[in-house]
Amino acid sequence: MRDRQKELLELLDKSGANLYALLTRLTLREDIAEELMQELFIKLINSRSFDKAGNRQAYTRRAAINLAFDWRRRQKRNPLRLDQVREPASNDSSPLGKLVQAEELDEILNAIGQLNKVPREAFVMRYIQEEPYDYIAKQLDKTSHHVRALCSRALNHLRDVLGSNRHKSFEKETHNVKNRRKPNPPSVESPLTD
Amino acid sequence: MSKIDENQIHRQLKALSQIKPGSEATSRAIQRVRETLINKEKTRQCTGTRIRRKIFKSPITKFAAAAVLLIGLGYATGRLSAPTVDTEELRAALRQDLLEEMNERWQSAFAAGCAQIKEELQRQIRRDLTEFAVQTLAASGSLTNQRLMELIQLIEATRWRERQQIAAALEQIEQEKILLRNGLLAVAARTNELLSTKQ
Repeated sequence: MRDRQKELLELLDKSGANLYALLTRLTLREDIAEELMQELFIKLINSRSFDKAGNRQAYTRRAAINLAFDWRRRQKRNPLRLDQVREPASNDSSPLGKLVQAEELDEILNAIGQLNKVPREAFVMRYIQEEPYDYIAKQLDKTSHHVRALCSRALNHLRDVLGSNRHKSFEKETHNVKNRRKPNPPSVESPLTD
Repeated sequence: MSKIDENQIHRQLKALSQIKPGSEATSRAIQRVRETLINKEKTRQCTGTRIRRKIFKSPITKFAAAAVLLIGLGYATGRLSAPTVDTEELRAALRQDLLEEMNERWQSAFAAGCAQIKEELQRQIRRDLTEFAVQTLAASGSLTNQRLMELIQLIEATRWRERQQIAAALEQIEQEKILLRNGLLAVAARTNELLSTKQ
């Protein structure tokens, strides 16, 4: 157990910052990323499969990705209360820009969360961590071509999901606007927004 | 299904990849995990010590530990204070013991074998005697039969001879009867003649 602790401390020194950045990108919240980082290492210290894992770093990253997307799934089921809402992590300084961007990023992350585990990991490593294909292939124990194919398929899937979401939200907005116009007398031409 | 522009997705992904947590937040998170890992190990060690202390707090455990220690001490003392053994003497004693045991085994095996042989012999003699008696009886029976047959033949021969003698006697009697009749007839005729003559 002492060896495991030593190994985990070394892993924390080596890739702690990267893991924290990854968790922050996937949750868009620094406080949640900190909690998940804590949870990740507690899981690792008690995990038996961590000893059996050939590539400990890859195992840890996979566990972190899974934890982050599990958290996102839980969040979708349990919407946040107002007192739990914190300022999202973003590089844009304007409040409106932050809000819009956070919403878009949330949407794309939720779409990534719908992918299967292996394509999701490959996609996250490629497009969110910006790792080269060869490195991803080595980490996932696959060929570079296979990783490219996985990422391409994942991107197509994202396009479908996001396109469908936008279409639905557009239809919903149109429906709302039409419903809002109904009570007004037909003779008076009122603007779409009051 | 409508598809979204790929550039837009790439732009959003790029924005995601550009998110970097503050260095202060990063070091705080790492420090927190480090403290957790170290505390967890300490807690585990403390738990171990606490369990050990709890175990040794019980008087039964203390008594058991003391008993184990005493037994161990006694065993070690016994081992150390044991006299040295002369191997030659030990070998001779072992040899003697082995020989005695072998003799005993031989004797018991022989006695058992003897009894078995005696019993087998008795059984054989009884079987032979029975066979002899049967053969003797059969032989005597056939001899008696032969003697009886000879006796019967002898009686038959004697009876046949007697019957022949009786037949010969009867024939002689018949001839003598005929002679007597003829003589009587001759006497009668002579008498008749005599009577006629006298008259």
